[in-house]
Amino acid sequence: MKIIRTILVLVMVMATMAQGRIKLVALPERADSIVRLDNPQFTLIEEERVLTLQQGVNKVDFSWKGVNIDVDSIRLSVIDHPDEVKLLNVSYPPNEAALVWEISSNQAREETVRISYLLGGIDRLVTYKAVADKDETQVDLKSYIVLRNFSGEDFDNTQIVLDYGQTFMRDIRHEETKQLQFFKKTEVPITKIWTFDARSMVWDPETVPDQNIGIPVSYRIVNDKKSKLGDNALWDGKTRIYQNDGHDSTIFLGEDNAPMTPVGEKVELKLGNSRDIVVTQRKMDTKDINKIFTKESDYRNRRLVMFDREELITAKIENFKDKTATLTMIQQIPGEWEMLDCNMKYTRKDNNTIEFEVKLPARSADGPAKKELEMKYVIRHIRANQQPRVINR
Amino acid sequence: MKKIIIVLMMLAVPVLAKVDLTTLPARDSVQLTIYNSADITLARESRDLTIREGLNRLQFSWANTLIDPTSLEMMALAHQSDIDVMDLTFPPRVRELGLWNIQSEVSGKTPFEISYFTSGISWRAFYMGTLSENESKMTLQGYVRVTNNSGEDYENAQVRMVVGEINLLDQISMLAQRQYPYGSPMPIPKAFRETETLSRKSNTRSLGMLADGLMMAESAPAMMAKDVMKESLSEYQLYSIEGTETISNGWSKRLPSFKPKDVPVKNLYKYEERMYGPNVIRFLSFKNDKEHELGDSPIPEGVLKVYRNVDAQSHLAYTGQSGFKYIPVGEDVELNLGAVGNVVVEPKLMDYKTDNYRFDGNGNIKGWDEIRTFKVELKNTREIPVKLEIKRNFDSSYWTIKNEGKYGEYEKIDLDTVKYTIELAARAKKEFSYELTTYNGSRMDEFIKANR
Repeated sequence: MKIIRTILVLVMVMATMAQGRIKLVALPERADSIVRLDNPQFTLIEEERVLTLQQGVNKVDFSWKGVNIDVDSIRLSVIDHPDEVKLLNVSYPPNEAALVWEISSNQAREETVRISYLLGGIDRLVTYKAVADKDETQVDLKSYIVLRNFSGEDFDNTQIVLDYGQTFMRDIRHEETKQLQFFKKTEVPITKIWTFDARSMVWDPETVPDQNIGIPVSYRIVNDKKSKLGDNALWDGKTRIYQNDGHDSTIFLGEDNAPMTPVGEKVELKLGNSRDIVVTQRKMDTKDINKIFTKESDYRNRRLVMFDREELITAKIENFKDKTATLTMIQQIPGEWEMLDCNMKYTRKDNNTIEFEVKLPARSADGPAKKELEMKYVIRHIRANQQPRVINR
Repeated sequence: MKKIIIVLMMLAVPVLAKVDLTTLPARDSVQLTIYNSADITLARESRDLTIREGLNRLQFSWANTLIDPTSLEMMALAHQSDIDVMDLTFPPRVRELGLWNIQSEVSGKTPFEISYFTSGISWRAFYMGTLSENESKMTLQGYVRVTNNSGEDYENAQVRMVVGEINLLDQISMLAQRQYPYGSPMPIPKAFRETETLSRKSNTRSLGMLADGLMMAESAPAMMAKDVMKESLSEYQLYSIEGTETISNGWSKRLPSFKPKDVPVKNLYKYEERMYGPNVIRFLSFKNDKEHELGDSPIPEGVLKVYRNVDAQSHLAYTGQSGFKYIPVGEDVELNLGAVGNVVVEPKLMDYKTDNYRFDGNGNIKGWDEIRTFKVELKNTREIPVKLEIKRNFDSSYWTIKNEGKYGEYEKIDLDTVKYTIELAARAKKEFSYELTTYNGSRMDEFIKANR
């Protein structure tokens, strides 16, 4: 159904006669139209129409029904003779979804104008499908636009544009959803990563005997030239990841929401969990040292002002896979702390977060490949109501 | 019931109109890849379509199935550079129907592949173990059970199963039942939402009925000696069943996943108050490795029912069951068979005293030690040897332990737990003692100094 109409209203221009709008038959059809989807929240429609203008001032009526047009977004531009054809003003008739343009022309002519407006109820989603090779070193990446038109308007042979990638000429009906592949890149390199995050994951799997503590596994893709990408930001969207199974078929590995990824940035997409890498983290010791008390002579009245707490943490990492893996291990140490002893190299991510990169060999005939982190640190504890500045260190 | 229907419409000219509707191709082959960690199955079917040069429209409908329309994909298996799958349209006011536009430079019979996710097909692993009379060996049989409640009959399907935990953002069953395949940017009117809830309710009911029918199917299990090929892909295992299977809607099927294996097992008993209370818990322990006749591939999570051979006629007794988690290759397995009374662990506090008092200037106590002596009595009333693991938990990290007797070897588990491992012969008794000293107040500081 066609709900948006442009009606040319011809009014003989006389100073006193402006009351009452007479709609005339001239009802120009849409010429070209564009549905522009580069803004994820708002969809811009641009349509061109040919107006038959008289010499002098013309009134053009633009009205709609059952669609949601943002009135303040409506723009009109003159395409063929912008110097001779001028938009004079815009007025809004009472209680109508409509507006009236006053357009002056220095002579009678057919003039192409472009009408742009934001239309509600029509938008797009972006989705991805990635198929990894058997060795998990690269993916073939396809991206789709999913156009959802619930605007109330049908569009015939309209151009569908995102901001890059392929554009499409299609009919779009009201209440129609259309999926279009807008780019495809083959052999995009990926890095596979395993992550153990001690902040959120169970430390000791033995405490939950009925459950595997899976290690999250992700693919990292960098949006750059080296990765055959890097021309544009990658839109955010649901990404489904498959893998070639070596038998002319694929298996589904998992799905994740890719965030908007600007050029040069990386995106990490979670596939699922590995249960062939097991981390067992335990607190092996904790001791309070360097205690300082208030000076009351009665020991029972003394209050602890500050102390240092030493903690010994071990984390056994076992790789039961028949392939090597690199585990990113994230550890958190709260407050003011100092590392006393650590048998693995780490990088400080922020004041309270350190990160280890643990290279794990494949399992052998004797069993899993094992590595063990041992770190001893001390955390300063100060009683809450004590001002640090009064403490004489 | 065949509910997935494909209609090929051929157009001489690319216009949008109802045109001659010709072919209704049958499914040539179908492959199901079924997951166990989530309700999702990847279905891949191939069909020979007779296409014409120019624009072809293919209508795919799936009423009353549980297909996720957002996963639909179509691909030509031949002439790929000449055949362009242009788009997939979900037309207005029709449910469970998609329309592909295919631009072709060639005409004739062409193989196509259509793949999609469906909900409603599941599989799970389960196991039967039969212990030898002396309980030193267990015959282990593995099974998988595939259940089809998807609404669609899959005949002669290649069945594959994936073991693994995949990351899923949306339930496939939810995606399959949405009013619009990708939802709508507009809020759905209230009246509409209500009817949707209603229809969903009735759907749940019908699924319940299917589950009843399924119980009947189970009483007549189809046993077939088919091979299951196992391989690992990414972080998952893929099990492919030899040949094809027909699994009709509402039915399930039991298939052997591995053949009986004689696995040497240890009868392990554990005692840890923090974990199990004052009970002895029985475990069967073995390892997923060659030494234990296993180790070819990880063992998927499932329930093991354990039986025991009681006589020479192979009569069985039921010992118990244990659910267990996924077991990687090379990992130890401990199957919890529950609390028992025939192996006894009795820790007793035999002595309590305090010592090493420290005083402040006013003569008040500021530090002291507590010394506890425990005796742990162990009794194996069974006629087979057993292994015992006893963990003791303390409520302090300031402790030392002294052991008496010859079973006093312990392993520190964490800051306040130690473990004793003891083997007991059939119908044997043992005991061991330890003296635990905990340090309080200023004795903690002295303890730290002394241990540096």
